[in-house]
Amino acid sequence: MTEEELAIEAKGLSTWEQHKFMVLVGATILTALILVVISLHLYKSSGAAQLDLSRPGYESVREQASHTNDYNGYSSTGPLDKDALDSFRKLYDEQLKQATALDSFGGDVMSDTALGIDAPAPAQ
Amino acid sequence: MNRFVAVLTFSGVFLIVAMLSQSVRAQEFLPESQVNQIRQNCVRAQSVLNQLHATDALLRTNRGQIYELISTKLMAPLNSRIALNRLGGLKLAASTLEYDKQLTAFRSSYQQYEESMSETLEINCKEQPLFFYDSVKTTREKRQKLHEDADQLSELLRVYKNDFEDFAKENSKDTK
Repeated sequence: MTEEELAIEAKGLSTWEQHKFMVLVGATILTALILVVISLHLYKSSGAAQLDLSRPGYESVREQASHTNDYNGYSSTGPLDKDALDSFRKLYDEQLKQATALDSFGGDVMSDTALGIDAPAPAQ
Repeated sequence: MNRFVAVLTFSGVFLIVAMLSQSVRAQEFLPESQVNQIRQNCVRAQSVLNQLHATDALLRTNRGQIYELISTKLMAPLNSRIALNRLGGLKLAASTLEYDKQLTAFRSSYQQYEESMSETLEINCKEQPLFFYDSVKTTREKRQKLHEDADQLSELLRVYKNDFEDFAKENSKDTK
């Protein structure tokens, strides 16, 4: 086709047909933005955000996070003889000791005095 | 359009009144000397809260992993093995259910506490000492709830241990 023929054909196109490509680009960007908003909402509402130590502010504690991926646990098949029960007892006691070792989230660390926001003592 | 503007204006006025009423409510209970104290120790308070935020996140991660591990890699396999061997163990199953329920409550408590703490850390305590104080108070209450939930989890772990020992005793009698 010659350029003139193409120009004539282009003039015959509707506004929609002339801008199809730009609409496609716009719709793609809009879809991506919507999916990002949904993802962020799920990230926050599911509780994953609160456990994400890669967030800013957690640099000092990141390295101290423990990893339990290689823990095999207790087998769900097999007989339940004395040896099997003893094996479970040993595994459970190990974890129970770790789980109850510290007083989690206790203490007065957030008291007014600890933060220095309590009422000052009246001058005598 | 006029209706839209009217609704928007009304909502804005309502929000402003609500915020002002909050500050008035806090101001009724805080003497001026304490407000000045908050402003003076603002940096120290925020530093302590930031550090606490990080250490609590680490504690939640590490402790949470142990709680999950106990549920999925110890309790569940044992219950499954008991069922496969047709040995009853209903008490253990009931304890496991109770533990899983409490674990869900613990997760929810932590989420609420952490969200409250993040909001508190964003407040400028020099410019808004009253809001800061209220927010700290709310966060402290949520941390206390979290502490109670963690204690309850520890208690349920001990209950499961006792139920297991009872099961082991009964089972050893049956096999004799």
